[in-house]
Amino acid sequence: MIVIGAAASALDLLYLAQSLLDGFVRLLLFLLLYRLYTRRSLRDGRDVGFLSFFMLVAASSVTFDVAFLFIFLVFLVLGVWAFMLHHILTEADRVAGSRAAAATARAHLAPPLLALSVAASVATLAATAAFFFIIPRVGQAALPLRARLGAMVSGFSDHVELGAFGEIETNSSVVMRVRFPDGPAAPERLANLRWRGIAFDHFDGHSWTVDRPQVSALPRSGAGLFDVSSYRGVGPFVTQEIYLEPIGTERIFAAPRLLKLGLATDAVRIDEMGSVSVTVPSARLRYIAHSELEPATRQAGHDPVTPAASNVESLDRYLRLPPTSPRVGDLARAVSAGSHGPSDAALRLTRFLSNEFRYTLALSRQTQLGPLEEFLFVRRSGNCEYFATALAIMLRSIGIPARLVNGFQRGEWNPYGRYFIVRQRDAHSWVEAYIDRIGWVTLDPSPRAGPGAGPSPLGLYLDALRLRWYRYVVNWSLRDQMSIAAVFQRETSTWRQRLFEARRFGDLPPAGAAWAALVAGVVALLLWRRLRPSAAQPTLRVPRFYQRALRTLARRGLHPARGETVREFLARVGAAAPACAAPLARLTAGYEQTRFGSAELRTDELAALDLCLAELERPAVP
Amino acid sequence: MIRPLELIHRLEQSVGRALVGKPDVIRLAVIGLLARGHVLIEDVPGVGKTTLAAALARSIGAGFQRIQFTSDMLPSDVLGVAVYQPDRGEFVFKPGPLFTNFVLADEINRTTPKTQSSLLEAMNEGQVSLDHSTYPLPRPFMVLATQNPREYEGTHPLPESQLDRFLLRIRIGYPAASDEKTILRGAGEHALHAISPVVSVGDVLELQDVVERVRTEDSILEYLMALVAATRASAPLALGASPRGSLALLRAAQARALADGRDYVVPDDIKTLAVPALAHRVLLRTRTDPGAGSGMDAESVIRALVQDLAVPR
Repeated sequence: MIVIGAAASALDLLYLAQSLLDGFVRLLLFLLLYRLYTRRSLRDGRDVGFLSFFMLVAASSVTFDVAFLFIFLVFLVLGVWAFMLHHILTEADRVAGSRAAAATARAHLAPPLLALSVAASVATLAATAAFFFIIPRVGQAALPLRARLGAMVSGFSDHVELGAFGEIETNSSVVMRVRFPDGPAAPERLANLRWRGIAFDHFDGHSWTVDRPQVSALPRSGAGLFDVSSYRGVGPFVTQEIYLEPIGTERIFAAPRLLKLGLATDAVRIDEMGSVSVTVPSARLRYIAHSELEPATRQAGHDPVTPAASNVESLDRYLRLPPTSPRVGDLARAVSAGSHGPSDAALRLTRFLSNEFRYTLALSRQTQLGPLEEFLFVRRSGNCEYFATALAIMLRSIGIPARLVNGFQRGEWNPYGRYFIVRQRDAHSWVEAYIDRIGWVTLDPSPRAGPGAGPSPLGLYLDALRLRWYRYVVNWSLRDQMSIAAVFQRETSTWRQRLFEARRFGDLPPAGAAWAALVAGVVALLLWRRLRPSAAQPTLRVPRFYQRALRTLARRGLHPARGETVREFLARVGAAAPACAAPLARLTAGYEQTRFGSAELRTDELAALDLCLAELERPAVP
Repeated sequence: MIRPLELIHRLEQSVGRALVGKPDVIRLAVIGLLARGHVLIEDVPGVGKTTLAAALARSIGAGFQRIQFTSDMLPSDVLGVAVYQPDRGEFVFKPGPLFTNFVLADEINRTTPKTQSSLLEAMNEGQVSLDHSTYPLPRPFMVLATQNPREYEGTHPLPESQLDRFLLRIRIGYPAASDEKTILRGAGEHALHAISPVVSVGDVLELQDVVERVRTEDSILEYLMALVAATRASAPLALGASPRGSLALLRAAQARALADGRDYVVPDDIKTLAVPALAHRVLLRTRTDPGAGSGMDAESVIRALVQDLAVPR
């Protein structure tokens, strides 16, 4: 069996496994099952424990989800418990040598031992957490093992194709989470919040593509950020901290217009339309984006701002029309007739589409017309891609440069963690139109779909926990540690200063007073415990096992008298309940040794005493 | 390295061959030896007082002298005397029977207080002072004194202050019927002569050192002190135990712990030894005294005290 297993795993490791890790995991699994199947002694149980620990280590290199935290916690508690139990059982075996006695001990020890192991785990966790946050984090050494980071879920697509039919399923898996570390106070009230991913300029009647996919590497500025564009001073400035799940695209998302980008890599590329892509998977997991949002109250045609002088790109390709029937152009001109300038015309077209057309996810084909014409003249309903395509083409046909943008809607606000949860079903398409003297303007013709049933508060809370896991564990970096240290230093120096300035206790800020009171209380408690009068000590010095034995005997009506020594009590108990005599004799000897002798009891002796306790507590046979 | 428990057991077994059926008494005698004390064996004649002392001495292979006290004995008969040597022109000390390891002071209450006190002084000091010279007694030095509590005619009972010099007072008591049968068969008599040393003098000295190192926890000391204080405050007692009594009880308890195979004292040691170690040191009020208990002897008073005293837990 072992030979076959070894041969199989060697084969697996050398030829079959996709990665070394897979092979090792399968080998571990085989060993684990083999051990469980041939389990005979306690040693095998210990081996299983070690093997499962290796499994946990292996798992840690392929996942960084918060679920791992829960698994890890469960493993920690159970592992510590099993370890303690194993130790006690081996000691008990050594002492008593009888399986039956060990079995009673097992039943008898379980609950307090579990509590003890939980306490031990908590202590371990606290100590480890302290180490984790303090020990300098150098790089993310384990990341290369996560080879399959790139291809996981696919929902957002790098191209837009019309003419597919059928019911589009709403996928509620989370794509990204967006925090606002520097405010504003109420990000959920921000208007025009979208997450822009990729822009398309070429439409062939069925699908949108990027005509000239020229990309250039972005330069890094002095502050370590990538400069994307410059601040115009029109809209609100927001800083976003984005946690992107691996969704199988190199694009990264940010609120338009993106100004600066903070990333842990140099491989940042941008195309002419401002679509940013990052080729290093691990760098996409968390990044910082600074954006200037579009002003919420833009009045068409009354925008005083002149376009940026650097805007020299040719607008011709944003006016190119696909081979569609002239009815589309006619419709556009009819709708925009009488408007005051391109800005107003664009707004009218947008309103027309969102008011006259219906949003649907169920797409059916009814004619042989092209998808755009079928949407505009026959079906008059579709998803956001149809709305956006229709608007872009209609804008182009009346001479306004326009392009299609793919990205995500703002998503759902999580009040517990104060961030947006963006899901696959929030994927969205909209239009950017170039208006003279203003620049590129975002237009969204899709009628807003009614809010679906949001997740429960518990779900939101769990998701907030997940975000914190990403932020403070997975992405905990040397820079975070340095900033924490800096904050700490600043705070303490402020405190020292304030402490010297404060004349009275009342002058201290309330939080400081509370801390001071807390510290004083802890110190007082410790002192009190140390200096407590010795009157209370004699009862404390009686070892626990003997106290328990006394309680057990008290339930049978046997109490030691005031002037009765433990040996006299033992003799009396032996006369009253002969079954108790033998275990109580050993307990009494143990008690005397602990209480009056100088040597502590050894572990195996304690284990033997526990067996005696179990014997003593066994209900008397009538 | 000696093995205390094994040595003590060997010693007890050896003595037990001669003194049949009295393991408790033998244990007390051994405790007296280990605690560097002297014991007073008090009982009616013929229960084995002399046998106990002789068997103990023989089992150790140490010197043994028996002094039969009579009313005409003088201190020099016990301690020794300085004899003038005409050829050397000086007095030379001639040691008396006391200069040995084990002394059986038989019927100590039959001799005069003068002789008694000379013996008791030697017991206490471990040396004999005579004519401006001091002569140390050999070690170990142990006196086993016997007295008959029932005979009063022509005796000089030891006063309580003198009794204080004895570590323990032992009562032997009549043997059980089966044991008496064994004695009648002559087992004890022959055994006494057949006893050969089972432990050496050096072993005994070492054991005595070990006893002093037996651990006594604080609460045990407090228990002991509370017991002694109780004897001093007790209504039926005119005189309680002295500090020497406390020390004796402590040493005896340590020796008992060692004989029991422990290196620490437990409350039972104190409790068991309270009567043998303290009862002969206290003075009972006479019946005419106000507040005297009716018909109580010192032993029962001590027993009652110790039964009431809270045991350390």
